[in-house]
Amino acid sequence: MTFTSWQFGIFAAVVLVTYYLPLVRSFQVQWLVLASLFFYGYGQPELLPLLAVAVLGTYLFLILAIRDRSVWLPVGIVFNLLLLAFFKYKFLFFDPASSSGVGVASIDFVLRLPLPIGISFFVFHNISLLVDLTKQKALSPSFGNVFLYIIFFPQLVSGPITRAEMFMPQIEPKSFADVRIVEAAKLLLTGFFFKLYVANNLNEMTSYMGFPLFETLQTQDRWLLVILYSYQIYADFFGYSSIALGLALLFGYRLPLNFNLPYAATSFADFWTRWHISLSAWLRRYLYIPLGGNRCGPGRTYLNLMIVMGLGGLWHGAGLSYLVWSLFHGLLLVMERAVTPHGQLADSAVLRRVKMGIVFFCVTMLWILFKLPNFDQALNYLSGMFVPSAIPNPTKLFYNLALLHSLPVILQHLLRRPLPGRVQRRAEPYLYGAMAALTYLEAGPETSFIYFQF
Amino acid sequence: MSPQRIAEAQWLVRCAASAILLLCVAGLAAARVGNGVQLPSTTTRDGTLVTLNRYVNEPIPDLVLVGSSLTFRLKEEYFATPGVRNLALAGGSPLTGLTIVANRSKIPRIVLVETNVLSRSVDTGLVDKYSKDDNVDSWFARPIRTVVALYENWMHAPPTREQAFLTRARLLDQHPQRFDNRIYVDRAFQQLDADEPTSAARENAERIRLLTGLLEQRGARVLLLEVPYMDRIEETRSVKATRAIIHAAFPERDRWLPVAVERNELRWADGVHLDERSALIVSQAIDDVLKALPSSTSTAK
Repeated sequence: MTFTSWQFGIFAAVVLVTYYLPLVRSFQVQWLVLASLFFYGYGQPELLPLLAVAVLGTYLFLILAIRDRSVWLPVGIVFNLLLLAFFKYKFLFFDPASSSGVGVASIDFVLRLPLPIGISFFVFHNISLLVDLTKQKALSPSFGNVFLYIIFFPQLVSGPITRAEMFMPQIEPKSFADVRIVEAAKLLLTGFFFKLYVANNLNEMTSYMGFPLFETLQTQDRWLLVILYSYQIYADFFGYSSIALGLALLFGYRLPLNFNLPYAATSFADFWTRWHISLSAWLRRYLYIPLGGNRCGPGRTYLNLMIVMGLGGLWHGAGLSYLVWSLFHGLLLVMERAVTPHGQLADSAVLRRVKMGIVFFCVTMLWILFKLPNFDQALNYLSGMFVPSAIPNPTKLFYNLALLHSLPVILQHLLRRPLPGRVQRRAEPYLYGAMAALTYLEAGPETSFIYFQF
Repeated sequence: MSPQRIAEAQWLVRCAASAILLLCVAGLAAARVGNGVQLPSTTTRDGTLVTLNRYVNEPIPDLVLVGSSLTFRLKEEYFATPGVRNLALAGGSPLTGLTIVANRSKIPRIVLVETNVLSRSVDTGLVDKYSKDDNVDSWFARPIRTVVALYENWMHAPPTREQAFLTRARLLDQHPQRFDNRIYVDRAFQQLDADEPTSAARENAERIRLLTGLLEQRGARVLLLEVPYMDRIEETRSVKATRAIIHAAFPERDRWLPVAVERNELRWADGVHLDERSALIVSQAIDDVLKALPSSTSTAK
């Protein structure tokens, strides 16, 4: 059940209306847990036991770690990382298509299970829970609250990755009178608009980046499609995150922002404070800083950066492309830090634009590795960008459609305050209304969210 | 109600009103203009939909081609015979187009069925959508696509008969392409030699026989056609098996439309699909046979 399906619309409406009924007020947490289980099990009920194992195991280790942090915290973290590693990387060693398994039915069943949706996200929630709550030496939280934090459906599948110390204090009885309806509506409309109008329409074109279709492209179209994919992946994930934030807000929960105009970043370090912010923040807090961060000299800092980025890449999947993608980003961060160790270079508007262009160019080129996880295909695509094509009958792309479908991303980044404050406030509801109509009228063909695969 | 709630309600009403207003405008535009403005295609599937939309929205043509991406290359403007409509689906099955043609209340005089690719199943979504006579694409016009469509149709109007004639002449004046397609031929050979689509091909051949019978009962003439492959590709297991199955199902010689061409004039850009000039040569060969056909099949309904 994806956020853009009509089934999800009905589900969310029923859950929301019931949630604020006076009778249910005392059971809001339990109701959300039940709804989240239904959401997760819809279509893939065989994965529910796995979710139960992850939650129960984490809860058990949490209780033990609150008593003895030094022993049980590492055990709890290893338990979760093993879970993640098993499901992410088992297909490197086991072919699910092969008829012969290990011979034990239950093990074969687990080995053949697909990658559980959202596992990368809820495992990070679990680790955050273990670290944050045991550090605070808090009283053991209730099982229901822990369950809700891990599987709260707006953030279950693709985040944002919320820290336990941010989410847990928000768990309290909610009243509809406190809901910021307009703020939630803006987030939802923006999210659906970016997903359905921008990302899904651009996907029609960027599908030609797939192998072997990209061999029918002219050189200039390979370049165009890389830029379009850069816009698409942003619109897709930003749209998803925005919907998640809006939904959570309707239920009285505030999730962290996941994007802040990433293509306006003027440095690679800046980019990672604007792109998938919740993952960057998680990695910084739970990996980079414990590794020593930048406190142990330049050499160790560079190594820490490469380790964090490398593991961040592997978090996305077991492909060589993801690792190379993340290591390149790590290298860019290291080089940037080496060149500007004490902060920013002398700045001017022109220089800022140039830096913005360089960051966008590098980030966009590296998305090729994301689009084509097969490393050979990615290299093949890349090499084709630098040689003139001699293909008879190349694929025709409509540049005007490409521009019109990319325009929201471009305008969002370039015109941060398009209208004077008062005019904008007055025009805002009409603009959001126009966006809603355009989302319905011009939605591209249905495609799943790109980050669902992680 | 608190002032904040009143302000929020006003915001939501304004938002909803502007959305409804725009939807009404789009609805009125669709009612006045209909879905007559052909939207541009961004993918080959879209290109297919363009042709299918034209087929169901315009008068029934005299001759329809159904097939796969091999036939998709035989552009309508390559035919000197007027009233040709190519319903071949890139990446699709010939049976999809054939089923749509057979399901509609009016049928063309002649239907040419490409038989090269019989391994694919019918696209039931397309068949459902285009089989009905009261096909309504949408209650609303799509503003962005309509504007782009108007611009594209204005900038790239279909060629006139004279322009099409000149294009054909220009293409025929050229020498055959010397594009090095060895990589693609090797890849195509491996794919087509890997397996034999026997059971799917048999089922589809049987289905073609059934639909052919239905169309001929209604007065149409159905001819089968094989688009030429490269010599090396002709030797693959898949091609040989498909050919054997379809010829066993249709052994009558007069059922087949011969494509008499100089094979050394033909080129295949990717080893399988004809390039532009070769597609024109094959189209003209088909044209020549069509001209020689008796015109006794003019009563199709």
